[in-house]
Amino acid sequence: MNYIGTIDGKEVRVAVRETGVARYAVTIDGTEHLVDAHQVQSSVWSVLYGETSFEVDVQGKDEEYEVLIAGDCYKFTLMNEQRKALMRSGGKGAAGKAMVSSPMPGKVVKLLVREGEEVKADQGVIVVEAMKMENELKCAVTGKVKEIFVKEGEVVESGAKLLLVE
Amino acid sequence: MFRKILIANRGEIAVRVERACREMGIRSVAVYSEVDRHALHVRCADEAYLIGPPSASESYLVIDKIIDVAKRSGAEAIHPGYGFLAENPRFAERCEREKIRLIGPSAHAMRTMGSKTLARKTVQAAGVPVVPGTVEPISTEEEVFRVAREIGFPVMLKATAGGGGKGLRLVRAESELASSLRMAKSEAKSAFSDDSVYIERYIEQPRHVEIQILGDRHGNYVHLCERECSIQRRHQKVVEESPSVIVTPEMRAAMGKVAIDAARAVRYEGAGTCEFLVDPARNFYFLEMNTRLQVEHPVTEMVTGVDIVKEQIRVAAGEPLSIRQEDVRQTGHAIECRVYAEDPDRNFFPCPGLITSLRTPGGAGVRDDSGVFEGFEIPIYYDPIISKLVAWGKDRTEAIARMKRALTEYVVTGVKTTIPFHIRVMNNRHFVEGNFDTNFIDKVFFKEEGERRLEHGDVAVITAAIQVFLEERKRAMAQKPVEGAGPVSMWKYSSRPGIRNLG
Repeated sequence: MNYIGTIDGKEVRVAVRETGVARYAVTIDGTEHLVDAHQVQSSVWSVLYGETSFEVDVQGKDEEYEVLIAGDCYKFTLMNEQRKALMRSGGKGAAGKAMVSSPMPGKVVKLLVREGEEVKADQGVIVVEAMKMENELKCAVTGKVKEIFVKEGEVVESGAKLLLVE
Repeated sequence: MFRKILIANRGEIAVRVERACREMGIRSVAVYSEVDRHALHVRCADEAYLIGPPSASESYLVIDKIIDVAKRSGAEAIHPGYGFLAENPRFAERCEREKIRLIGPSAHAMRTMGSKTLARKTVQAAGVPVVPGTVEPISTEEEVFRVAREIGFPVMLKATAGGGGKGLRLVRAESELASSLRMAKSEAKSAFSDDSVYIERYIEQPRHVEIQILGDRHGNYVHLCERECSIQRRHQKVVEESPSVIVTPEMRAAMGKVAIDAARAVRYEGAGTCEFLVDPARNFYFLEMNTRLQVEHPVTEMVTGVDIVKEQIRVAAGEPLSIRQEDVRQTGHAIECRVYAEDPDRNFFPCPGLITSLRTPGGAGVRDDSGVFEGFEIPIYYDPIISKLVAWGKDRTEAIARMKRALTEYVVTGVKTTIPFHIRVMNNRHFVEGNFDTNFIDKVFFKEEGERRLEHGDVAVITAAIQVFLEERKRAMAQKPVEGAGPVSMWKYSSRPGIRNLG
């Protein structure tokens, strides 16, 4: 199978081929790597690369990956080549738009902006309290607050949409 | 000695106290909220009582409920752990009235040391050096401005009832003062329902060194040497160690004496900690006294061999301390890392949730004070601490190596944890050299981390790609039999001419 990865903004081509029981040949931009990989515990893999042993924790959602190896976190995206092609032809995308969502379950303590208000990238827009700590969430882009989905005092789930900036 | 002790807490610290009770042959009584029925502290206790809804203000913080359980269970003493009711003088008074022994200092000692301003006055009178600042809580905004100008920036705003890094704000310039004051007051209000603040000069490049003390009812006091807790983020300790690399034997003796003087000034009983700031010239200033068992007490236990919780229990039962000052020795070096359910790669956002798998470290010199198990769901209502990992070594170098080794063995899945962060700290050159202050994590560490080249990107991408590959194949295989075995076979069956003809 072929995949397109994005690492530090750079696109790479990745291909996976099964060569035996738990044996794989993974090609990254033309370089082939042979590994012995076993999913040993939930999201944790034991990987033998040559004779070198790695413990690798793979967390992935919606093609975005965060992989932990020896305390280091590697962030990248990985997408099926066909899906990527589909997405590219699928429309305009979301340039200049940013959804602020809650990274954890908690309570909305304070809205720092109102609908229609101009905001700058990195500006704090909402305060969410979780586990006794108040966390100010920032907006990723410069724009106008298009819609606010929550009220002060509301309890929100992890991943809940809080407000949209356009 | 007590026959039964109630532990008015939850999580790892409740388990810690229950362990001491078991070892001393004392029955332990746990209390739990509706979400904590499965929690480890319920399973490690001899008895357990439900005390209400998940929210701490309706369960673990309700004095009436705790007292009621103590009476119903026949517990003679209550250990409050840390947090919740641990430093609440009203709770201490209530216990006194109900003739239930609180394992901790008197309400008077708590009240004096709990009010930061009163504490300053008291210890200053006992000859203890303090940081320049106000003695009274400041009520009006105008006064905050006036005092801040007088002391000179940078200043620190602190909630009078504060603790654990909450209601604390560093203000570098007058222009930041108004908004910082608002944040500090609002945080203090929601955390302690008391929004009064006081103000102190901010010591540049301070190191946080604290002295563990023990006192009994017979006027005996010992100090168990220092712990350094300069590795903090957002003013919250995350790594602690003993001994401190900057403390000399003379300094240790001087700080120990001053800490005991402070304790004596309030006739302190039980375990307590005097926190000091140490400036680059090694002057030390009293910061506050914590009138409870500290989160980081295990590092002291590892280097001194003293079981602090057991001493607390003995002293509360009226026995004299089992150790004298001349018996106290620091042997080797111990480090503690606080493992929280937080995402270190997303600004330490709390990540409560289900622990889907767990592998805890072991081996020589490793202690894991944990409050969780595989299959436990970390509730959103309380501190997201998972465990305290402690490593002991014959010297600091060995302790660091062991901690690093133990951290890489530690596997927690389902929730993000601070384990990766701790590995990075243990690898950091400045930490290894002992060259840091309380600003290290926020000012130096993250910047250096941002510039560090990662080694194993290929392995990361390879493994993720294999996982995607297998997931896609699994999905594809799961779909096929449905197409083949569904309505198609029914149609074949009913259309077989032989069967139809039978009808």
